Amino acid sequence: MAQLKIGVYVCNCGTNIAHTVDADSIVETVWKIPDVTIARSYRYMCSNPGQEMIINDIQGLELDRVVVAACSPRMHERTFRNACKSGGINPYLFEMANIREQCSWVHSADRLSATAKALALTKAAISRVRCHEPLDPLTAEMCPSTLVLGAGIAGMTAALELALAGHPVCLVEKTDRLGGNLARLDLTAPYLYSARDVLQERMVRIRQTENISVLLNSQLKSLTGFIGNFTATIANGNPSADEKVLHVGNVVVATGYKEFDAARITHYGYGKLPDVITSFEFERMLRTGRILTKAGKEPRYAAIIHCVGSRNKEFHGYCSRVCCMTALKYAQEIKGAIPECYVSDLYIDMHAFGKGCEDFYKKSSEVKTLFLMYGKNERPVIRKAEPGDDCEMLIEIDEKLSGERIEIPADLVILMVGMEAREDSGEVARLVNISQDKDGWFMESHPKLDPVATTTEGIYIAGTCVAPKDIPDSVAQARAAAGRILGRIAKGKIEIDGVFAEVNEDRCSGCRMCNELCPYSAIEFDETKKRSHVIAAACKACGCCVAACPSGAIKGRHFTDQQIYAQIEGVLA
Amino acid sequence: MAIRVNPKLIGELKRYGAEDVHNCYHCGNCSAVCTHADDVFVFPRRPMRFLQMGLEKRIEGILDPWLCYYCGQCSSQCPRGAEPGETMMSLRRWLTSRYDFTGISKLFYQSWKAEIAAILIVALLTASGFLWYGVSHGDIQTYDGPSAFLPSSMVHIFDWAMASVLVLLLGINSIRMWWLTTGSNEKTRGPWWAYLKCLYLLPLHFFTQKRYGKCETRRSWLIHLALMLSYVTMLVLIMFFLRLLQDGPGIRWAVHSFGYLASAGLLFTIGYAVYGRIRKTEVHLNHSHESDWIFLWMLLLVTATGVLQHVLHRTGTGMAANVAYLIHLALVVPMLTLEVPFSKWSHLAYRPLAMYLGDIHRIALARRPQAARAMESLKMAS
Amino acid sequence: MSYEPKIVGFLCNWCSYTGADLAGTSRIQYPPSIRIIRVMCSARIDPTFVIDALAQGADGVLICGCHPGDCHYSEGNYKAMRRFPLLKKLLRSYGVEEERVRQTWVSASEGQRFADVVTDMTERVRALGPSRIHRNLLADVRER
Repeated sequence: MAQLKIGVYVCNCGTNIAHTVDADSIVETVWKIPDVTIARSYRYMCSNPGQEMIINDIQGLELDRVVVAACSPRMHERTFRNACKSGGINPYLFEMANIREQCSWVHSADRLSATAKALALTKAAISRVRCHEPLDPLTAEMCPSTLVLGAGIAGMTAALELALAGHPVCLVEKTDRLGGNLARLDLTAPYLYSARDVLQERMVRIRQTENISVLLNSQLKSLTGFIGNFTATIANGNPSADEKVLHVGNVVVATGYKEFDAARITHYGYGKLPDVITSFEFERMLRTGRILTKAGKEPRYAAIIHCVGSRNKEFHGYCSRVCCMTALKYAQEIKGAIPECYVSDLYIDMHAFGKGCEDFYKKSSEVKTLFLMYGKNERPVIRKAEPGDDCEMLIEIDEKLSGERIEIPADLVILMVGMEAREDSGEVARLVNISQDKDGWFMESHPKLDPVATTTEGIYIAGTCVAPKDIPDSVAQARAAAGRILGRIAKGKIEIDGVFAEVNEDRCSGCRMCNELCPYSAIEFDETKKRSHVIAAACKACGCCVAACPSGAIKGRHFTDQQIYAQIEGVLA
Repeated sequence: MAIRVNPKLIGELKRYGAEDVHNCYHCGNCSAVCTHADDVFVFPRRPMRFLQMGLEKRIEGILDPWLCYYCGQCSSQCPRGAEPGETMMSLRRWLTSRYDFTGISKLFYQSWKAEIAAILIVALLTASGFLWYGVSHGDIQTYDGPSAFLPSSMVHIFDWAMASVLVLLLGINSIRMWWLTTGSNEKTRGPWWAYLKCLYLLPLHFFTQKRYGKCETRRSWLIHLALMLSYVTMLVLIMFFLRLLQDGPGIRWAVHSFGYLASAGLLFTIGYAVYGRIRKTEVHLNHSHESDWIFLWMLLLVTATGVLQHVLHRTGTGMAANVAYLIHLALVVPMLTLEVPFSKWSHLAYRPLAMYLGDIHRIALARRPQAARAMESLKMAS
Repeated sequence: MSYEPKIVGFLCNWCSYTGADLAGTSRIQYPPSIRIIRVMCSARIDPTFVIDALAQGADGVLICGCHPGDCHYSEGNYKAMRRFPLLKKLLRSYGVEEERVRQTWVSASEGQRFADVVTDMTERVRALGPSRIHRNLLADVRER
């Protein structure tokens, strides 16, 4: 192999590195290594002059490898790779040694040892970079069609957003109608818009938009491929109909939630006491226009209990987010319909977090709702009242604001059931290759910075299938997902990072051990050749197949065995 | 044992002046800002809570409303406009009606018309009574001397008789207050010696209202103190020095100077209160229940007629003076017999009594085992 | 006898490497015995890396990954976890002491924990003395 020309740069980072690590001595030592053409130290390598230095050296000294010993690669690897690119060499012919976060900052009392360690890390980087190969990104076509799973408010919004931008959308819905859970509601909190009006608008527009093809009574049967190039098979509930095969570029998962089964909490007597109902059952009652007990009378006392199935160690620890405001809505609606009714609201905390919500809470107080607070892992107990009482049921609880153990009269009890992940969410996650968290909600790529994408490129999630949320947030996420997809479609092609795993077909024995290991299902088995093959676009370069292959046939680009051995040798030299 | 929530109570309290209690969401700002609230007496929040939940027995059992002097800071600080200060005032009215064993107090608070009617009836009875006496024993033209229309000796006896009745009524009601708040609950009853040890608190708070001085606005305390001391001065003069005060025609400066000072004090402070209520100049004057107005107007009329009859007497018009005196008496009697035991003026007994019992509560609680004390200082066990 | 142990650490990019960086930004001090090698996922760690490190003279090897359930690549750390017991068995047969090779989980927010792990491991390895088997291992393993 021809002699390499390696440039080594040791950053002082002002005094961050320099106060502990003797950069100059490292420069002096490494410059003695035969293939290190130049070694320099500089105050701030990441600054413009620092980068210029690298660029000039690459061009002037014809360097073909660059090593920078500085901060963490998580900070500036991209910066220096770009500098290499500007200098004219492949950005992957670069390696960084972390001598700040993992050296100077953590061994500040021991200059000698810190410098020795920094030298070892630099040498390791030099050893490794010798084994680096130039890597180029791949490109693939981006199909402009999108598959949307679920025709609730989120699904419909995403579909409309994409279709109105001019791209075909296939909207797949499991049930026989559009609207999802929102169609079961009467009014929405806090502005008391009619749910029906909100949905009607969406449904009419969908019908009028030619680009959207709606498949009711349908489910996704399989999804193969990678971003820009998925193949989806949709099965219809009708057994005689053929399965539809679609070619799509992206998928939006908006499958929604299901409500908690209140019968699981026996103290509430749901299913046994006739006038203990869930929030959805109450919505149905509101839509009929009259609030009545099972016996057909107007209730004199009504009680609403928050956090049924939510915020509880036994069932679900999370908050279902929308129930507090919905409960306040019920308090106001009951008072509006039956002014003489005494409404009690049993809550743990009042989550009134959004626009208009604190005012909505105040309004509920003004209409004379009695608010009673109970403890997080406690549960009110509902029992039938005695014949002498002037109410049907009594609710007993330790009330926290007064410190008393109380009994509350109630003729009607409304249980605010929480949201939970649908039973089929596990199946959906498996089909599209996304993860679920411990509560069954789909996991986003980053909880703060990337809320609608998933770790599988091309699969987006929106709405309550991600976590409990209200209508504004579901719509926002749906539009966000649509926006991301539109951005991708606009580019026309997709660029796939050059770091992925590759199977050397000569070495592959066809044992297929790697096929099952890949969390992204990115390894397929070629039946004709009887060899495994990595779908580069789907590979995330985790390396588990590389380590597992008994034949050593899989190479993890940029993290090859050779490179790591070189690093080990360098670090211990 | 669970206590039943009664959402109806709060509707009843509306007649007593409670407004917007439902708005309270228990942030605790009111109790935090109150200079007098502490771990043992958490007010106004605790009474607000009991009221929202309709726990009548609990409300009857607490001293909190009487420990409040209505500086109004709590209402100013309330983020929800729940008017804790006015709620405490309305609870004082309600408690007054509960301590009263006759039921007259409840009637008055719920119907101002009944109170006015009662005042008029008592006034007419008084007027006719004194008129009959005056006509049968004296001469309407004469104010002083043997044929005086309303001789001071007679009035003096009448005053003491009336005072005894008042003291009896108020005394019984005060004992009921003690029983409801302190005596019936062994956790707050306290040892017998505590009652002796703290006895000085009664006259101390009665005369100085020194805790009122600790409120953020000192001016209200000073005005009230002036009002109260002026009144007490007049009371002492009337009960013990009536003959020297009344009999003329000359002016006995040694006695009358006190009277003039007291009258001036009364007129000024009442005028200030009336003005304040009309113009709503301060937080605690924003809300005026009928009982507040009746009290003030009666006091004003009594003072005015008292001054009038004195002036008329000393300037020589005997008949006019006697008529004025008659009217004065006709107003004084209902004011004292109705306002003191059954209406707003009862606070002259209940407040100092609450201060006294408050300390007894603290002594009783301090004697309880450590663990139980923390729990119970925040709730009254049934 | 005092010697400074040399420990090679294999840290996964998403959790443990970030956690070690956090120890740095928080200026939490720990012994300079550890030399860190970054991999994308703990699943990438071939057991031969561990053996090679010991052969090259490392007195100890530390393998760090994300906490089970939190792997950036779904289940990579489970795969790493499965490989480890067999590796330990093999190393025991080579005469490598229990405390020299350790697998643990450090999350991106656990800077202090990382420092504590390194400090603890350094002391244990120091107590064991310098590794004695590297010359034998070197002969067996280095054929690539």
